[in-house]
Amino acid sequence: MNEIDARSLRCPQPIIELGKVISTMRHSDQVTLLSDDPATEPDLSAWSRMTGNKFEKISESTFVITKLSER
Amino acid sequence: MVRVTGNFQSESPLHPKAFEVLSAAFESGWADPAKLSQASTKAAQLRNNALETIGKALAVSVDSIVPISPTSLGYFLGIQGLLLNSSTLIHGATDRKDVFAIAAKTPHQLLKSDLDGKLIAAENAGRNSVLALQIANAETGVIQKCDEIIADVNSDHIFLDATTSGIRVPLVDDFSTALFDSRSWYGPSGIGFLIVKKPSQWSNPLPHLNAAHPNLDVSLPLLLASAVALENFSAEVEDASTEARKFNEQLRSAFSQMADVDIAGSLNSSMPHMLSASFLNCNGEELLRAIQNDGYSVDSGSACTADNLEPSHVLAAMGVLTHGNIRITIHPDTTQVEIDGLISSVTKNVNQQRS
Repeated sequence: MNEIDARSLRCPQPIIELGKVISTMRHSDQVTLLSDDPATEPDLSAWSRMTGNKFEKISESTFVITKLSER
Repeated sequence: MVRVTGNFQSESPLHPKAFEVLSAAFESGWADPAKLSQASTKAAQLRNNALETIGKALAVSVDSIVPISPTSLGYFLGIQGLLLNSSTLIHGATDRKDVFAIAAKTPHQLLKSDLDGKLIAAENAGRNSVLALQIANAETGVIQKCDEIIADVNSDHIFLDATTSGIRVPLVDDFSTALFDSRSWYGPSGIGFLIVKKPSQWSNPLPHLNAAHPNLDVSLPLLLASAVALENFSAEVEDASTEARKFNEQLRSAFSQMADVDIAGSLNSSMPHMLSASFLNCNGEELLRAIQNDGYSVDSGSACTADNLEPSHVLAAMGVLTHGNIRITIHPDTTQVEIDGLISSVTKNVNQQRS
């Protein structure tokens, strides 16, 4: 599984980095996002709704994202 | 230095009539209204006239009005004064931080928000509680269906936060205390009005000797200026709201044509002069500065523009994108040229940031 280490990056950078990686992935592929920015979790929630992809919170700073759309 | 031609921040200059009265008020309203001198008698008359004007415009009795300074003190007075007789504070996830600060010191229950900013009411939360209800949100302008929430929650003590809605949204009939901010009608900052509609439910939570009448001593000139601003804005509010709604529709329509935009709440259930929009993959601070460089001042709820680097708790509670956020307030003197210029500036700068 791909991993994006976005720890110490501040918003919107973790979401931008995620967008770059997910555009190279295939349907149903997963990527782990490491981020300690307090805006990441609420923004992942909004990003999932807007793009049609899914995320799951594994720990305080670890999120697993599954690609479910072409965006 | 960039010349700012369009102010779309929540703050605005005083209403022109209030500005006129302010200097005159400092000349004739300096005396203590409670004393017996000629100047004091005049000051007392001015104070009484101002309170009558305010009571008439807000549709509340003069006896129920407690002028306060600063406005933020009104949250403590209005809510804590009801909590002395109740056990639990029930409030919304999109309330101001002042309410959260009070809730942190008392048993409380949080009403979550849906994506449109509407609070999801807990049914029958219990009679022995205080419901703190924000009529319109200060960041998004989303207006709550107060009647429905009050009926569902069924609290016996109700505090209404009217600091953003002001006179644009009428108060529901059934409330215990309510708080207004003079700035909502283009009056001076630093003065607000607590309305104690049900004195039997409220106790002054500050140390005091006279429980019946809280003496909080606000500046008389500010009180007079606030009353004049309110009286004048009352006559203008309908036209101002119609014009603001027209501009707001134009902004929403233009932003909706861009990709990946999250607009908080619909215009039909929001204050006509307020708009909050978030642009995916944009940096709120950089966006705000770029728009400022084009001559337009806006606000932002993004974490990178906040002192504590925390994202807006309002946007987070709604589930709306918190980064790349701008907040726009349309004022009575906003022009079509300014709206057109703002749309061009936002469109250009969002596209530049994304490229």
